Amino acid sequence: MRRAKLRGEPEVSVVIPVVERYGDLRQLYHEFAAELDRLDKPAEFIFVVDDSQRGALPVLRELQNDVGGSGEILIITLGGAFGESAALTLGMERARGERILTLASYFQVDPQGLGDAFEALDGPGGVDMVVGRRHPRIDSKFNRLQSRLFHSAVGRLTGTRFHDISCGFKLMKRRVSRELNLYGGLHRFIPLLALSRGFTVREIPLRQRDEDRGTRYHGTGAYLGRLLDILTVFFLTKFTRTPLRFFGLLGTGLFALGFLIDLIAVVQRAMTEQGLADRPILLLGVLLMVLGVQTLSLGLIGEIIIFTHARNIREYQVAEVIRGVGPREVPRPEPESLESKQAATAS
Amino acid sequence: MDVSIVIPLYNEEESVGALHAEVTAAAERLGREYELILVDDGSRDRTAEKLREICDRDSRVKVIRFRRNYGQTAALQAGFDHARGQVVITLDGDLQNDPNDFGLLLQHIDEGYDVVSGWRKNRQDKMVSRKLPSMAANWLIGKLTGTPIHDNGCTLKAYRLEVVRKASLYAEMHRFLAPMMSLSGSRTKEVVVNHRARQFGKSKYGISRIWKVFLDLLTIKMLLGFITRPARYFAILSLPFLMGTLLALATSVYIHFVWTPQNDYPLVFPSATILFAFAFAHLIVIGFLAELVVKVGDFKEVEAVLATAEFGGSHHAES
Repeated sequence: MRRAKLRGEPEVSVVIPVVERYGDLRQLYHEFAAELDRLDKPAEFIFVVDDSQRGALPVLRELQNDVGGSGEILIITLGGAFGESAALTLGMERARGERILTLASYFQVDPQGLGDAFEALDGPGGVDMVVGRRHPRIDSKFNRLQSRLFHSAVGRLTGTRFHDISCGFKLMKRRVSRELNLYGGLHRFIPLLALSRGFTVREIPLRQRDEDRGTRYHGTGAYLGRLLDILTVFFLTKFTRTPLRFFGLLGTGLFALGFLIDLIAVVQRAMTEQGLADRPILLLGVLLMVLGVQTLSLGLIGEIIIFTHARNIREYQVAEVIRGVGPREVPRPEPESLESKQAATAS
Repeated sequence: MDVSIVIPLYNEEESVGALHAEVTAAAERLGREYELILVDDGSRDRTAEKLREICDRDSRVKVIRFRRNYGQTAALQAGFDHARGQVVITLDGDLQNDPNDFGLLLQHIDEGYDVVSGWRKNRQDKMVSRKLPSMAANWLIGKLTGTPIHDNGCTLKAYRLEVVRKASLYAEMHRFLAPMMSLSGSRTKEVVVNHRARQFGKSKYGISRIWKVFLDLLTIKMLLGFITRPARYFAILSLPFLMGTLLALATSVYIHFVWTPQNDYPLVFPSATILFAFAFAHLIVIGFLAELVVKVGDFKEVEAVLATAEFGGSHHAES
């Protein structure tokens, strides 16, 4: 499978983080490279290899040699097990193309969908990011259920409707990748982060590969981690600038609940002769109130942190600034206003 | 540049043409050099196209388009960030504010006020859904900031540029701009302005819920009043719990030593003492943490706020 050598700058940078597991990287490269060639998109491939997956390096080196030293394949090795977010960030930083395509390091989807993806990005009414959705899913029932639960939780909290945000296939414009700021488990929520930065995102169906089939089980730790990730994203996309809104809602809610419980207990004490001390629920009420106060005060700390460390973050993202170009009438200042201006400068 | 007029727009395709014409006419009459900053807050209708047409005709217009809808506060902040006039005037994009009030606002700025806030005394809106919640919010804001202003929600306001440059707005803080600025030492004046019934479209920025106002106020009060000594703010917040602790403690002591019940000893008060004391101690400790955060923070930012206060102060002395 020969393809035309890359001449000049690539148009597309394919970033492949090799972090958790990897499939036949050689075949992955060839299939996607061939499809990109067919679409006439000069591309570079950036493999970012996590320290935990050093086993993939010999294959990649070999591939690099086979393809030739035209800068088509770049291999970045991470100095430690830094995870997928770090790998993606590094790869995207090195990317030279105006379009960035991220892929999983194993076969998830058919490269045939690439044409559609580019159409969605560059066609009329083009969006800023295209996310692949493996459709129809050929995974086991268990994995599909798991994925549905995950996406319904994410959708509920963030008010979005995605079916497969964890699919590795994402095609985006370069300016999107520059603003993602990934770390920790955030790579799973790239579409949501892009949306919160004001970019447009579209999901397109892609045929899932047989290689992607199989039941994957995770430990409880993984699920807890995922849940925490969802909450983090919810917090970060909605409340970065206004932490007290988050903690305050939670805190006042807890406080109100505790107050209500105790109020009922006290009213019952007054009406009937049931002693307050016999009622454990009284303690629950007071504890909830205290917890509410704590949560609220943490929110205040959050506000102080934002104020003293990041006061100039802006909530908004500007798409464009249009300056008027029409004829400019030169304003004729009346003597009266001139005087007031002088008075203003004098004071 | 004398005046920057900032107008946030969200889905105002019907009114934007009329708005431009009316505002331009009113601004021309002022006889000052002005610019018109139109902030398109992620409109989904044809507002952007209309704005482009306006830009082709009028060089005094600058349009800032957001990627998506970020709300009125962000739109105003963007307008402030781009404003170059010595005075910044803000108004609503729905033509409910009357551009003919510009002169009145500027007159008070010329008199030496830093912020002049419009008061829609004859507000042309629905009573229950719009006016009542806003009355409650204004009352709360007035109580907590000590600056009673009748109508914080009115977008028609004029600011001195120096004052507005120091402001960093978020959430729904545009509602508190006037009291916020007076907390940091600016001279604030409220003037009655004209308010007209809505001609086009319908109201887009809904009712602000009262708890949001309350939370924002907690923040503003802390940041403007106590940023150099946050521990004191937390100490003030902890006072009710200290009182609770003392009361419950006193009651427990009374029960233990004076009443001394033989059976059915009430555990309520000792446990209440512990829990109140817990909340109290927590707030005090958090206050120290706040001190730490402020200390390692970017002190220039904090100083900027304090400088605004000083500026306001010296300004009074002179005028």
